[in-house]
Amino acid sequence: MIRDFLKNERVFFLSFAIILLFIIFGYIRPDLLEVVSSSVHSAILDYFSWLYLLSASFFLIFSLYLALSEYGTIKLGRDAERPQYSFFGWVAMLFAAGMGIGLLFWGVSEPLVHFLQPPPFLGAASSEAASFGMLYSFFHWGIHPWAIYTIVSLSIAYFSFRRGMPALISSCLYPILGERIYGLAGNVVDVLAVFATIFGTATSLGFGAIQIHAGFTYLYGVSSAVSITIGIIVIATALFMASAILGVEKGVQTLSKINLTLAVSLLIFILALGETSHILDIFTSTLGGYVNNIIDLSFQSYPFAANGWSRDWTIFYWAWWISWSPFVGLFIAKISRGRTIREFVLTVLTVPTLFTFFWFSVFGGSALSLEQSQGVDLGVVAGEDVSLVLFAFLENFPFSSLLSLIAILLLLIFFVTSADSATLVLGSLTSGGSPFVPTYKKAIWGLSLSGVAIILLVSGGLHSLQMMAITAAFPFMIVMILLCYTLYIGLSQEKAGK
Amino acid sequence: MFENTLIPVAYGERPDELKNIGVTLKNFGARSVCLYHVHESGSFFRASDISWLMLLQEALEEVGLSIEVKRGEGHIASSIAEAALFQGCDEIYLKAKRRWHIGQMLLGSVSQDLLRLSDVPVFVQKIRPHLPDCGDGLRHEDLIVLYATDLGAVSARPLPYIKEFHGARCHILHVRDRMADPSTERRRRDAVAEKLHSVEEELTPYFGQVTSEQRIGDPATQMLHVSDWLKADVVVLGRKKQTSFSAPMGDTAERVVNESKASIFLVP
Repeated sequence: MIRDFLKNERVFFLSFAIILLFIIFGYIRPDLLEVVSSSVHSAILDYFSWLYLLSASFFLIFSLYLALSEYGTIKLGRDAERPQYSFFGWVAMLFAAGMGIGLLFWGVSEPLVHFLQPPPFLGAASSEAASFGMLYSFFHWGIHPWAIYTIVSLSIAYFSFRRGMPALISSCLYPILGERIYGLAGNVVDVLAVFATIFGTATSLGFGAIQIHAGFTYLYGVSSAVSITIGIIVIATALFMASAILGVEKGVQTLSKINLTLAVSLLIFILALGETSHILDIFTSTLGGYVNNIIDLSFQSYPFAANGWSRDWTIFYWAWWISWSPFVGLFIAKISRGRTIREFVLTVLTVPTLFTFFWFSVFGGSALSLEQSQGVDLGVVAGEDVSLVLFAFLENFPFSSLLSLIAILLLLIFFVTSADSATLVLGSLTSGGSPFVPTYKKAIWGLSLSGVAIILLVSGGLHSLQMMAITAAFPFMIVMILLCYTLYIGLSQEKAGK
Repeated sequence: MFENTLIPVAYGERPDELKNIGVTLKNFGARSVCLYHVHESGSFFRASDISWLMLLQEALEEVGLSIEVKRGEGHIASSIAEAALFQGCDEIYLKAKRRWHIGQMLLGSVSQDLLRLSDVPVFVQKIRPHLPDCGDGLRHEDLIVLYATDLGAVSARPLPYIKEFHGARCHILHVRDRMADPSTERRRRDAVAEKLHSVEEELTPYFGQVTSEQRIGDPATQMLHVSDWLKADVVVLGRKKQTSFSAPMGDTAERVVNESKASIFLVP
């Protein structure tokens, strides 16, 4: 009986053992952890950064092919099934999945950092650097990340809703692995998904905690010691674990709705009180530049001019999205039952992307315009601490203290809802795809998420978080390439059968 | 079915070796052989000198086969394929040349072209079956045949020919992709097993033993693997039409023809 239990819980024990080892190692020797993760991270970037670029572009092309080919009419569910949610409800949930801590963290700071520290072939703080900053912000938050999510969510949705298999990454590899999905090979795939989810989510939680801390420091002069950041993580952990363990699903849904309303209100406020027409100009021209240059951007790593820049930004983002993809993919799959592949892909690729573009135009565009034409020196703040930029930016609007508090509240709610959902996804991934996750697993995964975020912050801060996201994403990227193949096999068999 | 065989010959062919082949062909039901030579315009040998062809003819006549000698010109493979069709031949017999340095028997470009162009079945003699030198030739009863089928129309075409082999054993092999989920896979496996069983029943009267199996994987790799495991003498397969990205006679046939140690019987 114990043997059966251990066999059934192999994914859970295996992934928990790895994460626990990581936490213990990081606690005892944070310096050594930094050295080891730096070496692995450098090796991945030295040898495989091209693969991240090619894979992300391939995922986009493959998603579009599926949507526009004969496979586009296949339903993610039985043929007679209707979508579970209304179109607008579904789109709102897509926003909620895509809009996270990252948008708040990078919305202002990314265009600004590109503007002030562009690649060597552009002059810092020049108008070219401003356009470049907006263009690359669009690119990093544009259609590619959603294509990455699409591959995972489409695979899970297809194999679980249409083929009746458990909602696990290993299920999607049945055409290759066969019955081995129930054995060690399948377990390894699921462990890789857990591994990527833990580090991807921990990276976001780390960003969130850093930024909440920065907000308190900026507003109330709270000490900037890392122990405060850890304290914020501990409090947020207590909140999201209470929510996950008590199963207050409705509460989380309400929090998500409040968050979306707050985020949209903040967006409208900044748009209305900022240079509205200039922001809309930035949105329109950057969108044009994005469409015009998407092929070049997709494959460009500036090997002769700024290879390091591409690694620090584009490769980091692609890795981060990949590490988030099992988590977001599973969530999007869950809400997309009953939709056709065409409807799914085209909506997921376009609607959240356009919203994100607008977000960056409003926040990033306004920040650039403050910096360029109104002489507000946000660059100095960015140079000191990139997490402070959002609050320094909000300072330039009426009711700035209130706006900053709203931003902190948004970050906290994002933290709680993301970590709560990630805990449930991790629980499901380690419970054979079951939506009913035992409480002890929720507790273990919740604590692990926060533990990893704290260890990464202590061992190397922001840089360490970024490095682990890239490292954890690498094996899962290979799994994703295999997912494309198995999805194609499944779809083509279905068409051939008809 | 194998009554009339066309054997393409070139200068340098050894009469004793051809005689051995003749004995085996006769054991398999051949009554007549058409020796066909294509003269190349730039050839060192004079077209009028056909004494070597006569020697080959005599060697085969000793076996008791009726021999006809024909000569043609032009593109070699096309000329042979055309002759086989117009002569009403049942098959073309080719011998692969051994390439010792790579440990395999590979086909020359003429043979490759012929396999692609021929409208009659082509038998390519490779390492197996070994033709005995004693003069009795290979017998039906010793033959192990591997019939590779995708259960489609193309691979149903070889069935009448397979029956003519009358061998010791026929192993029917179906290689396919794994289905996308366990329950479809189960249904597919059962459906294929049923079809294979009916082919098995059809071939049972003609062989000492008929077996079948289905495998998942790359068709060429699995065919080569099973052929070696079975020590098959002949691999029988149908030729598919070339598609945009495939090899001229289909990717699977191309690889099996090149890499198999067993002889190939390719039915167009």
